[in-house]
Amino acid sequence: MPIRVLIAKPGLDGHDRGAKVVARTLRDAGMEVIYTGLRQSPAQIVEAAIQEDVDIIGLSCLSGAHNSLFPKVVSLLKEKGAEDIKVFGGGVIPDSDIPKLKEAGIVHVFTPGSSLEKIVAAVRDCVQDNE
Amino acid sequence: MNSTDFRNLARTISRLEDNHRETVSRIIQLPLDRPQCHIIGITGPPGAGKSTLCNQLLSQLSEKGKVAILMVDPASPFSGGAILGDRIRLNHLAQHPGIYARSLSNRGNPGGVSRWVVTILRLLMDKGFDYLVVETVGAGQSEVKIASIADTTVVVAVPQLGDDIQTAKAGMMEIADIFVVNKADLPGSEKTANMLREVAMDSSGQWKPPVCQTVATSGEGCQQLVEEISSHHTYLVDNNLLEQKRRNAARFELVEMSSWLLHRQLEELLGERQGQLLVSGQVDLYSRLEKAYEAFINSLSEVSD
Ligand SMILES: Nc1nc2c(ncn2[C@@H]2O[C@H](COP(=O)(O)OP(=O)(O)O)[C@@H](O)[C@H]2O)c(=O)[nH]1
Ligand SMILES: [Mg+2]
Repeated sequence: MPIRVLIAKPGLDGHDRGAKVVARTLRDAGMEVIYTGLRQSPAQIVEAAIQEDVDIIGLSCLSGAHNSLFPKVVSLLKEKGAEDIKVFGGGVIPDSDIPKLKEAGIVHVFTPGSSLEKIVAAVRDCVQDNE
Repeated sequence: MNSTDFRNLARTISRLEDNHRETVSRIIQLPLDRPQCHIIGITGPPGAGKSTLCNQLLSQLSEKGKVAILMVDPASPFSGGAILGDRIRLNHLAQHPGIYARSLSNRGNPGGVSRWVVTILRLLMDKGFDYLVVETVGAGQSEVKIASIADTTVVVAVPQLGDDIQTAKAGMMEIADIFVVNKADLPGSEKTANMLREVAMDSSGQWKPPVCQTVATSGEGCQQLVEEISSHHTYLVDNNLLEQKRRNAARFELVEMSSWLLHRQLEELLGERQGQLLVSGQVDLYSRLEKAYEAFINSLSEVSD
């Protein structure tokens, strides 16, 4: 049974190249990737994740709003009783923001230099932890 | 329905897809014959605007009842993974309490649909959905399975198909209960619609497929499409044809399941040793298969007694 991942772009920036590269990489690693496109609100993302029964959500944000948007997704998941759905994030994120994001429940944060293999391995790891 | 209901529903669908035995045997016992429910198949080539059209359908149908949509895309033959991107077109409906949307990979199943699609439809019917929409990619003759599943099959084309329409005719044309020429804002829409009208006239049945021209991005023509879809449902009900459709779907479900089980088992069974034996040509495997198959068929006819 393939791992199901939702890739979403919260926030207002219109750049989804990075998100698409990650989506393709995860597909090539045998996962089912639900791609929801640009400008999603955290509430939309969480609802989609629940309806799609994904194991994990990947958020990509380049607008700088990650500090509010990423934790919002985690807290909404909790509110809906879906906290077993993990959340990872990526984008232009300063190193200094990473500890706070992790504290808020983001399991991994990937910055532009991160290798794609590392992302695949990390997704596999935290989904397996869940089972 | 609230998030908890959706979550339970979504999880049960995953268990079906993963062939969880108890779940399959429980759900397959749910009825598929609720007549007030309408199974609508939407098919056509990639990029024709099916998902955008579904977005329009969903927002109109959700005014009349509860709607669920299954959006099926092919898995990559190399990795088995898939990118399921149909949701991009549905985003503003994501939080509607009367709409459930689920993306499915065909998981390598030929014919453009998920093996479990009919079983999933049983589940959705049981949960009280009134409209069950199934979007599948249909690009050629092999991808007409949707017609065995849906009460109403909508075939989506785009203008300026040119010679393509000849090839498309072969497979997709005879399965249509309704034709849509989407992207009617582009030149050539009228011409394509006329060609399809000619095809529809030739249709042998009593029902002559109507041709709708739509602009899915703006919603133009979508009201008419919804009306045609509901007329077709009325036609099926009035002529006692709906039951037949559902019987077809249930048969399809069982054929899919049994061929998959057989296929899976065979691949596991025919290891190295058997392979060698087979290649030597000294066993009459055909007769053995026939015997095993006979036993299987007998067990099925017992069920219907
Ligand atoms: N011009 C025009 N473009 C459309 C129309 N409907 C859909 N599209 C565009 O066609 C592309 C493919 O649409 P999509 O719904 O994903 O097609 P699908 O692959 O058949 O599901 C998108 O860029 C849509 O915005 C239409 O009526 N007119
Ligand atoms: Mg689509």
